[in-house]
Amino acid sequence: MRAVWTLLKKELKVTFVTPLAYVFLGVFLFLAGLFFYMGIVMTGEASLRVMMGNLAISLLFVLPMLTMRHFAEEQKAGTFELLMTSPISPVALILGKWLSSMVMCSLMLIGTLVFPIVLEVYGDPDWGIIFTSYIGLFLVCGAFTAAGLFASSLTNDQVAAGMGGIVLLLPFWLIGNADALVGDGLQDWLDKLALLPHLRGFTRGVVDSADVAYFVAFAFVFLFLTYRTLESRRWR
Amino acid sequence: MALSRDVQRALAYGGNATVVTALVVLLVGALYGVADRNRVTADLSEGQENTLQIDTLNKLELLEGDEQLVTVTAFSHQEGKRDTYVKDREVKDLLVELERASSVVNTEFIEFDRERLTAEKLGVTEYGHVVIQRGEERVDIRARELFRKGPDGEVQFLGEGAFNRAAAQILSDRQRVIYSLQGHGEKSVSDSGPQGLSDLSSLLDKENYRLKPLDFFQASEPGAIPIVPLDAAGVLIAGPTGPLTDAEQDALVGYVAGGGALLIALDPRAPEIDILDDLNVRIATGVAADKRVYYPHPDRPVPQYGRHGTVDELREQKLATVLAHIAPLRLPATAPEWMTVDVLFKSSRDGWIDRGGELEVGGLARYEPEFDLPGPVDYGAALTLTPDENGVVEPGNRVARIMVLGDSDWMSNELLATGPGNGSFAVNAFRWMVWDDARLSLIGAPTAVRRLALTEEDQGRIRFLVVFLLPLLILISGAAVWASRRGR
Repeated sequence: MRAVWTLLKKELKVTFVTPLAYVFLGVFLFLAGLFFYMGIVMTGEASLRVMMGNLAISLLFVLPMLTMRHFAEEQKAGTFELLMTSPISPVALILGKWLSSMVMCSLMLIGTLVFPIVLEVYGDPDWGIIFTSYIGLFLVCGAFTAAGLFASSLTNDQVAAGMGGIVLLLPFWLIGNADALVGDGLQDWLDKLALLPHLRGFTRGVVDSADVAYFVAFAFVFLFLTYRTLESRRWR
Repeated sequence: MALSRDVQRALAYGGNATVVTALVVLLVGALYGVADRNRVTADLSEGQENTLQIDTLNKLELLEGDEQLVTVTAFSHQEGKRDTYVKDREVKDLLVELERASSVVNTEFIEFDRERLTAEKLGVTEYGHVVIQRGEERVDIRARELFRKGPDGEVQFLGEGAFNRAAAQILSDRQRVIYSLQGHGEKSVSDSGPQGLSDLSSLLDKENYRLKPLDFFQASEPGAIPIVPLDAAGVLIAGPTGPLTDAEQDALVGYVAGGGALLIALDPRAPEIDILDDLNVRIATGVAADKRVYYPHPDRPVPQYGRHGTVDELREQKLATVLAHIAPLRLPATAPEWMTVDVLFKSSRDGWIDRGGELEVGGLARYEPEFDLPGPVDYGAALTLTPDENGVVEPGNRVARIMVLGDSDWMSNELLATGPGNGSFAVNAFRWMVWDDARLSLIGAPTAVRRLALTEEDQGRIRFLVVFLLPLLILISGAAVWASRRGR
C-alpha cells in the first residue's frame, strides 16, 4: 500500500507541475460545458442526461490521451527497467498509475459539479439521478483508464498508446448500436458487452448491480492484462 | 529442429501466461454473467420514477403465466416539437423497465418518420402511438393517453397507467358489469360534463368493468318488484339528491343480504339509504371542514388516509385524493361481530363538522364553536359484512362489501382529472367492490418532467459560465503554474 501511495503522489506531482494537465482539464470542461449547455437548451429539462451520454463518448477519446504516457513514457525514457528492478511490485506500479488517473478523472468530474448547481438555480433537478449519473461516470472513468493503461503498457510510443486505447475502446461503444447489422437477437447479447447500455441505468437514477459488475469487471480485466504485459517483460 | 533454450523458456512462460490470462478473463466473465442474472437494483430517483408499481408487476406476472409473447411497439413523437425529446425518452425508459421486468414482453421503439412501413403495417397514423399485441389481441394507446399537462403546466407522463390498463384489457376474458343507479338525481355515466361520470366509465372500461345505468323501474316489468340484475358485480349509487322508493330500498337491502357489493357516494343533504340505517352508518348534518384544505377551495379538506388495501399505496406514495363538499359520516362506535369497518378517509385532528352556514370562500375555513361540531370527521369507510343470523347478510350467502363515502364529486370528470390519487382510488374502490383484491394498487402514478425556465438572458449567462469562464479559469491556473515553474 505504501508503494502505491508513494507512486500515486509522484504521478500526481509530475502531472500537476506541467501545464498539460490544466490544458487537459480545461479542454474537458469546455466540452462538458458545451454538452451541458446544448442539452438544457435542446430539451428545456433540468437534467444532465444529454450531457452524460455525450460526455461518456468523449471520455472514450479523451481518457486514453490521459493514460497514454504512463508506461509508454517510462519505456521511452528508459526508467521502466529501473521501476521493474525496484522493490515496487508490478501490482503496486499499476495501481499507483491507475489511481493517479482516477484522481485526475475525479477532478474533471468535480469541475462539472457547477452544472447541477446551475440546474438547481434555474429549476428543480432530481438530485438522486444526478448522484447516480456521477457514480456511472466515475465507473466509466475507471474502466476507460484501465483500458488506456493497458494500451500504454504495450508500446513505448505515446501517440500509438493513445490511439491504441481508443481503438481498444471503440468497439465497446459501436457494438451497442449494431442492431441494424446483426438483428435484435444478437444485439441483446452485444448489449451485455457494450458500454453505453450499462451507463443508461445510472443516468435514469437506477443503480443496477449488473451494471456496476460490468464496469468493475471491465476495469479489472484490463488492469490484469496490463499486469500480464508488464510481467511478460521479465521473461520475454 | 531443436528450439533454443531461450525460445523454449519464452514458450513455456508465454503458454502459461496465456492460459492463466484466459482463465482469469473467463472467470471474470462468468462472475459478470452471474451478476447479470441476479440483478439487484436501487432506484435512487426522487419518487422512484423508474420502479414499476406492484400492479404493473402483477400484471406482467399474469402475462408471463400465459407464456405468450407480448409485443409493445411505441412510435416516436413528431420531431421538432417542444417536448419531443422528453416524451420519447419517457416512453423509452418505460419500455426498458417493462422488458427488464418480464421475459415475455418484447419492446420496440420506432422512429415514426423513418420507419413508415412499420407504421403502415400496424395501421398507425399518428405520432406517439403505442401498440400492445399478444397473439390476435391488440390494444392501442394514443399519444394523448400517455401525456397530460399538470396543474402547473408541466408535462406529466402517464405511460405506466396506460400500459397497466391495456394489460388488464388483454388479460381479462370476462367483462364485469357494475350498475350505476339512476332516476334520483345521481351523476350520470353518459354525462361528459364536469359533473358526469363518463371519464370514470372509460377508466373502468379499461379494467374490463362495464359501468351501466340502472333504473329499477325501467329495468323491471310493470308492476313487478324491482331487483338488482343478476349479472351485477356491484351497484354504484353516485350522489342521489331525491329519495329512493321503498321498493328500491328493499331491492338494495335484498341485494346486500344476498352477498352483493355497493359503492354509495353521498353528498350533504343526501336522501336516506335504508341499508346504511340498518348498518348504523349515518350522515351527520353539516359539511366536513378542516384547517388543511386544497387552497383556494375551503370545501376541499385534505383527507388523511386510513389503513385499507384501496388507499395503502396512495398513502405511502403521498398521492392526494381530492374530495369536495363532503358529508360527514357517523360510523358505529362499536361494530357488531358480523361487520368490520375500515376508515378510508378522515379529517385531521383539526377537522370539524361545519354547521354555520356557508364555508368561508376564497380563504381558509373557520371553526365556530357556537355552530360547529369538533372533529376528527370520517369521510369514507369500507364495510365488510359476513353472513350471520343476526346480521344483514343471510347465512349461506357470500360476504357483502359496501363502500360508503361522504362525497360523490371525487369520481366526477372534474375531480378525476384534478386529484393525483382520484383515478387510482376509483379503480381500487371498484376492484375491492368486485373482489379483485389481488389487483389493489396504484394504477401508475404520473411522473412529471422537470422543466427549466430559461430566458434568453439566462441562457447567455449559463453559456458564458460553463463554456467559457470555467475552462478559462482552469487554463489560467495552468498558465500560472507554468510561469511559476519557469521563474524558479
